Amino acid sequence: MPVEETPLSSAVFDQLRQAMSNDSAGFAALYRDYLADAWQTFQNLRASIDQGQFDDVQAKAHYLKSSSLVLGAPLVAHCATEVERAALAKDLSDAGALLDKTKGKLQQVQAELAERLGKSVIPENYDAAA
Amino acid sequence: MRANSIRVLIADDHPVVRVGLRNMLQADPTIQVVGEARDGMEALELARNLDPDILLLDLAMPNVAGMDALRELTADSLNTRTIVLTGLIDKRQVLEALQLGARGVVLKDAVVEHLTACIRAVMQGQYWLEGHPVQNLVQVLRDLSAQTAPPPRRTYGLTARELEVVTLITEGCTNKDIAKTFGISEETVKRHLTNIFNKLGVGNRLELALFALNHSLLPAETK
Repeated sequence: MPVEETPLSSAVFDQLRQAMSNDSAGFAALYRDYLADAWQTFQNLRASIDQGQFDDVQAKAHYLKSSSLVLGAPLVAHCATEVERAALAKDLSDAGALLDKTKGKLQQVQAELAERLGKSVIPENYDAAA
Repeated sequence: MRANSIRVLIADDHPVVRVGLRNMLQADPTIQVVGEARDGMEALELARNLDPDILLLDLAMPNVAGMDALRELTADSLNTRTIVLTGLIDKRQVLEALQLGARGVVLKDAVVEHLTACIRAVMQGQYWLEGHPVQNLVQVLRDLSAQTAPPPRRTYGLTARELEVVTLITEGCTNKDIAKTFGISEETVKRHLTNIFNKLGVGNRLELALFALNHSLLPAETK
């Protein structure tokens, strides 16, 4: 998977915004839901890694990767892919560090989205998750 | 309901992905999202009930996995054409999906860019891979098969029968077993073994079995 250097793909963001141009509130809600879901998954991932549950970690990392790819967060997707691979290899020794990296990329995406869509895009569960 | 629109069913376990795909597709007036499935089981039910033109199928879903759903749908002989959504290119997986009847494969990080074009190409009877319509599916399948095939089995100058004997030796068969399997005498088996030992430079059955395992001398399913 080619990794874009920007946390948020402008091409994906702009095309989605254009596709939803008649529903700007829905567009912002889509990204707010993405962030809320991503932070929730992040929390769940942390718990699964702590418990050494390989299958759970793999499934949750894949889940985070999936939405991040579709909504244009390639760096988060890349980090999630690394966590997924670690779980598939049954080696979670670096998973904690990978998750910290994921958190950093997700925060970058959130900051970028807050700049473009306003701070209301930041989900309520962010503080608890981060 | 829009007349002559392309009727699409979305199957993905991720709600945000479904919403994103639905909004993106519905911006196109010629496309109508007729349903959303949260897992493979629901995808099968809705595909059978709604008879969509296109099924967008995530491969990694709970309950029935995407590939199994695809297998069942193909067996059902529905008119629905399936486009697989995947997170990364796994050529073996792409080959399997095409062999099971998928008409297109779209990477998730390219859905915004390619999905509607892919849907149109598939509706026109084309296949879609790696961001482009495919003109020659046979060639694509041949290339994918070549790229995903295991390394060719080396023979080290052994005849077909001698290779068969090697396979049976690694399975622990005695000369008597081998003779019975092939309907030949034990003397003939011994002669085969002598030839095999000489060609491979091994001195006994154990060395032969180890050589066979370490030098790709066995058919893939035996290893």
